[in-house]
Amino acid sequence: MKTFSVAEWTRSRFISVVVALFFCFICQLAFGGDGLKIYLRLLFSLVGIYVTLAVSLNLINGITGQFSIGHAAFYQIGAYTAALLGSTYFKPMADNSSLLWLLIAMGFSAITAGVAGFIVGLPSLRLRGDYLAVVTLGIGEIVNIIVKNQKSLGEAYGLSTAKYESTVFAVVLLAIICIAVSRNLLKTSHGLAFLAVREDEIASSAMGVNLTKIKVTAFVLGSAFAGAAGALYAHTKGFVGPADFSMDTSFLILTMVVLGGTGSITGTTCAAIVLFIIPEKMRDMHDLMLGVPIGVAIGIIGGVGMLKRIQDTFHGEGNVRLGMNVGAIAGGILTAYIASKLLCQIHGLQTMINGQLFRMPVLAITLVVLMLLRPQGIFGHHEFSWSWVQKLFGKRPVPESEVAS
Amino acid sequence: MSLLRVEEATIKFGGLVAVNKVSFELNQGDLFGLIGPNGAGKTTCFNLITGVYAPTSGTIIFKDRNITGTPSNKIAKQGICRTFQNIRLFHSMTSLENVVVGGFLRHKTVLGSALCYLPSAIKETEELKSQALDLLRLVDLEDVANVRSRDLPYGKQRRLEIARALATQPQLLLLDEPAAGMNPNEKMELLSMVKKVRDELGVTVLLIEHDMKFVMNLCERIFVLDHGEEIAQGPPSEIRNDPKVIAAYLGEAV
Repeated sequence: MKTFSVAEWTRSRFISVVVALFFCFICQLAFGGDGLKIYLRLLFSLVGIYVTLAVSLNLINGITGQFSIGHAAFYQIGAYTAALLGSTYFKPMADNSSLLWLLIAMGFSAITAGVAGFIVGLPSLRLRGDYLAVVTLGIGEIVNIIVKNQKSLGEAYGLSTAKYESTVFAVVLLAIICIAVSRNLLKTSHGLAFLAVREDEIASSAMGVNLTKIKVTAFVLGSAFAGAAGALYAHTKGFVGPADFSMDTSFLILTMVVLGGTGSITGTTCAAIVLFIIPEKMRDMHDLMLGVPIGVAIGIIGGVGMLKRIQDTFHGEGNVRLGMNVGAIAGGILTAYIASKLLCQIHGLQTMINGQLFRMPVLAITLVVLMLLRPQGIFGHHEFSWSWVQKLFGKRPVPESEVAS
Repeated sequence: MSLLRVEEATIKFGGLVAVNKVSFELNQGDLFGLIGPNGAGKTTCFNLITGVYAPTSGTIIFKDRNITGTPSNKIAKQGICRTFQNIRLFHSMTSLENVVVGGFLRHKTVLGSALCYLPSAIKETEELKSQALDLLRLVDLEDVANVRSRDLPYGKQRRLEIARALATQPQLLLLDEPAAGMNPNEKMELLSMVKKVRDELGVTVLLIEHDMKFVMNLCERIFVLDHGEEIAQGPPSEIRNDPKVIAAYLGEAV
């Protein structure tokens, strides 16, 4: 087993912190400017915020196994905290030094959301499975409805805040911190207790693990990160309104966690990026002939059918299987293309419809396909690691025992 | 000195009296067997001792401290740990990780240091891992340290559960049917392993088992339960010839 040395630790930590900050700056330079890139900047910031939200929910939902579907509530609490403080007590600071205030606002929002998470979590985490899901769903709605009916919180009109051109740095920083914290947890023996609670509550309790403490810790931590993300959201948009934190948002975050693979940080991050960009890009779709969606549906059904068939019946070599899967996907896309072209020739299917209608159904279809083909999520419980990359490029992988130590 | 004293422990589920006024005493270093026909209330007894259920009446005293109705995790902290009849490993974790979780109580660093990945937390993780590896060596599972526990064969899963329980460094180890599903060879290995655990680590063992040969060979004292009530208590030679025990197992002579 590799022995641990403080010097090496200091060096590797220093390098990773420098790399992280450098990455933040690069993102700031690439996406932070204004002018033509406003949309791109907004998109990038929101992707970063959703990565934070998804990874923080993964901490509760994936790692600790507590099925919470009210994550938007804590996001909302954070956003409103920042908006409220930024427009009242901290107005001078919010107007003058944006980055400093952003960091302070993130702190405040994390604290309020964390406290809210503690208050909600302490009684409700005694419940299991479906019951907890129902309670958290209720909490999400309650928070939103309270905000909608509070005069001081702007009712349904929302609150406006200072809008910053440069939130990208803070957004990326928060996402990196959130991912790093989750990863650190999984790398140390403390994190194993969280996983143990997910696996078997009775057994972990018999090993001396305090269930309530672990669950509430995870819940508070996840909520605090969601709150900090909320603060960034408020200043990215310059406005917070109850419509941004509805049940849809909660479900979008949950979908990201499930799609990526519950418990996998890598998976959740990837899924957050993809699932945010797809519906966002689909806003550009305007008029479609009715034949197109029908053709695409036929293609999806065909492709998924083939993939499922391969999964069920083929037990051959890995590479052959990969080839067959790629073939099935290509076949599905081709079928979709041909079918939509052909169907558009039929007179009855030439009616124009608005393509934006399909933004939300796409998420639903993705989930259905996922549940059919890979119920454990795209990444399952796996994480990105360098030995995995080496294996992909045909190098000799590092033996498992060395990775473990 | 008595390590564990169960006094008139009773638990009722609605109208059903699962365990009725059961009393027994365990001394330091005992190998104590708990036997009885199916549904006699043996596992319920374990659940009472480890705090899964609180008894309806009666007291359980461990090291002169009343632990009746204490939650499971606190009882584990006092030094009682158990295995489960229907194996309850953390299935998606490796054998090594399973045993590391057993060492949870020995954490000295706080969670915050793990979240920041401080040297203290890393060092502690490595220590716990090397201790876990020692325990895996004790139960002869060293070669499967990095195999997911779900993928292990049945007998190894049972041994892994024992290793995980030992990782909490208990003074009293409760084994719920440790030999179930093992072949005679594996049973003999288990027998010597349990003896080794008692002799080398000084752990008192209380076990439930259906295999009479196994129990009679291993245990120094045996307690027999039937329908939640005590029917006999004593050394194996007495139990073997006790008419009540024979009647409970084989039925009354007509």
